[in-house]
Amino acid sequence: MDSFSNLPNQHIALQIQNLTKRYDDILAVNNLSINIYRNEILGLLGPNGAGKTTTISMICGLLPPSAGSIIFSDYGVKNQKLLIGYCPQENIYYPRLTCMEQLQFIGLMYGMTSKEVQERANELLKLLGLHDRANEKAVNLSGGMKRRLNICLAIIHNPQILVLDEPEAGLDPQSRVLVRDFIKEFGKNKTVILTTHNMDEADRLADRIAIIDHGCLLMSDTPQNLKKTIGEGDILEVIVENNDNIGFINCAKQLSMHFVNVKTNANSILIKNPGIIEHLSAIKNMADNFSLTIKEYKLRENTLEDVFIHLTGRSLRQ
Amino acid sequence: MKTFHIILKSLKEQYRNYWVLLLTLCLGPFFIFVYYLITETSETRYDILIINTDNGIYEHGQQVNHGKNLHTFLTSEKQETTPAFFIFNEIKNKQEGIEKLKNKQADALIVIPESFSQVLSASKRGDSTNLTTVEFIGDLTSADYMISAVWVNEMLNEYIFKNTTVKKIVTVQETPLGLSSKISIFDMYVPGILIISVIMLMFTATIAFISEVEQKTIIRLKLSKLSAVEFLIGTSFVQLIIGIISVVLTLITAVLLGFKYEGSLFILLVVASLTSLSIISFSLIISALTKSANEVLVVGCFPMFLFMFFTGAAFPLNSKTLFTIASYPVTVPGLMTPTHAISALNKTLIMNMGFSSIMPEIFSIIALSIIYFVVGAFIFKRRHLRLT
Repeated sequence: MDSFSNLPNQHIALQIQNLTKRYDDILAVNNLSINIYRNEILGLLGPNGAGKTTTISMICGLLPPSAGSIIFSDYGVKNQKLLIGYCPQENIYYPRLTCMEQLQFIGLMYGMTSKEVQERANELLKLLGLHDRANEKAVNLSGGMKRRLNICLAIIHNPQILVLDEPEAGLDPQSRVLVRDFIKEFGKNKTVILTTHNMDEADRLADRIAIIDHGCLLMSDTPQNLKKTIGEGDILEVIVENNDNIGFINCAKQLSMHFVNVKTNANSILIKNPGIIEHLSAIKNMADNFSLTIKEYKLRENTLEDVFIHLTGRSLRQ
Repeated sequence: MKTFHIILKSLKEQYRNYWVLLLTLCLGPFFIFVYYLITETSETRYDILIINTDNGIYEHGQQVNHGKNLHTFLTSEKQETTPAFFIFNEIKNKQEGIEKLKNKQADALIVIPESFSQVLSASKRGDSTNLTTVEFIGDLTSADYMISAVWVNEMLNEYIFKNTTVKKIVTVQETPLGLSSKISIFDMYVPGILIISVIMLMFTATIAFISEVEQKTIIRLKLSKLSAVEFLIGTSFVQLIIGIISVVLTLITAVLLGFKYEGSLFILLVVASLTSLSIISFSLIISALTKSANEVLVVGCFPMFLFMFFTGAAFPLNSKTLFTIASYPVTVPGLMTPTHAISALNKTLIMNMGFSSIMPEIFSIIALSIIYFVVGAFIFKRRHLRLT
């Protein structure tokens, strides 16, 4: 159950029910169930070998599930292949075709008309900053450009659901911002499923995060909720000026009655608690009550990485 | 319509990947040129050693030595209808001759017996009681020995008919088929090389199929609405065009170097097209068993050499007939379509036979192509096109 669970059924883009994939003795995906909603960007996080790529391969139809089902909502499209756009981690393109030629070719393979595909290709090349390279052979593009072309190829047929495997991998900061803005824009009225190891990327992009490990769904919720509820929480360091011993100690005692994890240093009090920022005024009031002058607050918020490590552990994977 | 776009895409890729294309298109003409150099510039020569131990006889007060005369007869008989050239050298020692045979310095050793003149002279007088033996020594596995021995034996008989009362009661009349009396060795090789130019298609065709797998662009095609049949037909069509262009270029090169042919060019194109399709179908099997262009270049060599050297493409080959179907021989090399294609081209271009006479070959090529295609498409689909 997460904060999205209460959304009505008509918001669902696809329902994954008890999805299982077994390769001989290896259980890659184990009874995974999750609803993915329309206009949602879902970040699929997990360590190496967690089952992310297997899951998205099954969503895309590249891999048959051993058990369970993936039910797509009725988008009024006869062929389910038209619903999905897949951008794999590896750049997949025709090296000897120009950007425009391969976008046209793939569009035509999806059954688009020449006119439709021409217009769509121009639009996408412009959106992803490749319009001036339209007639350049893909093999001559830089790594970032190839990545952007890879995204163009995935959505040339205007799919309702876009699956991105590590979309920002290997991109320079400029390209990363461009791609991120593009995904955000795309996710406003389409469904985006992305896998990533980059917590910052997931935090910035995803409306909801699903963390999977050993093929099982561990947790799914908005990044804010995950950071609030999972892990040790935010760390607030309150540095005081006049550490009158009695007041300082009493204040720390008072704080420990409200927060589980309170420690003191020479002239500072460390408080670990999820969502500590919401209690900032209460903490200040307590310090005032004990006549402590607060010199500085140092806040280290609970990150998605903390949540991830808390849920999946520190042990190394494949 | 999607097939048409696959064709256009494949054409662009082939054109831009011009090194492999050039290699495929140039090898046929290159082989023609190499065979031309080999056949037209190298000297055909048979070295025959003669040991004359004939004692000779006195006839009408004159010394006659038929052994010596035979030698003169052999060297004076110029065979203008054959490019073969026989060189006779007289030696004294048999052991020396055998050593030369072993060292490939000679092809045959003829030993004329002591009684040769005596027996011939008696025979001329009507006395056929005496017999003698001319000894032929040589390597029985050597074609050069066979040719030398057969020719010397023929000339020996001619000499005997001329110098005795023995009558030749049977004469042989030779009627050449088609162009066979006029063609050179080079002309004989051309039909096989035309098929070699099609066999070379194996690499471009396999690479065309496997590059989609290697580049992983097959994932994009699998995700699209394209069917496996559309993909295979579209890619194969471009290869078929390359195959036909390759054969035409090879034929033009051969004609420029003096190749004479009879028969219909239309039949040549039909045979070349069907053979191209069969090679493309076979390429599908290779691409199903490989994962990259590099693997193709390694694995593909084995079937390519089989197709080149065990079908009669590189040099004429006679195979044991396993059984016959409607009097058409079925052989082990017959499992490879180039065998039938070369047979069909020989019948058409050299023997000037019509379309009806090559129907068994056409049928065999089509049947084998269907088998190759079904096997290739099945494995390719299982390995590279199905959900994995």
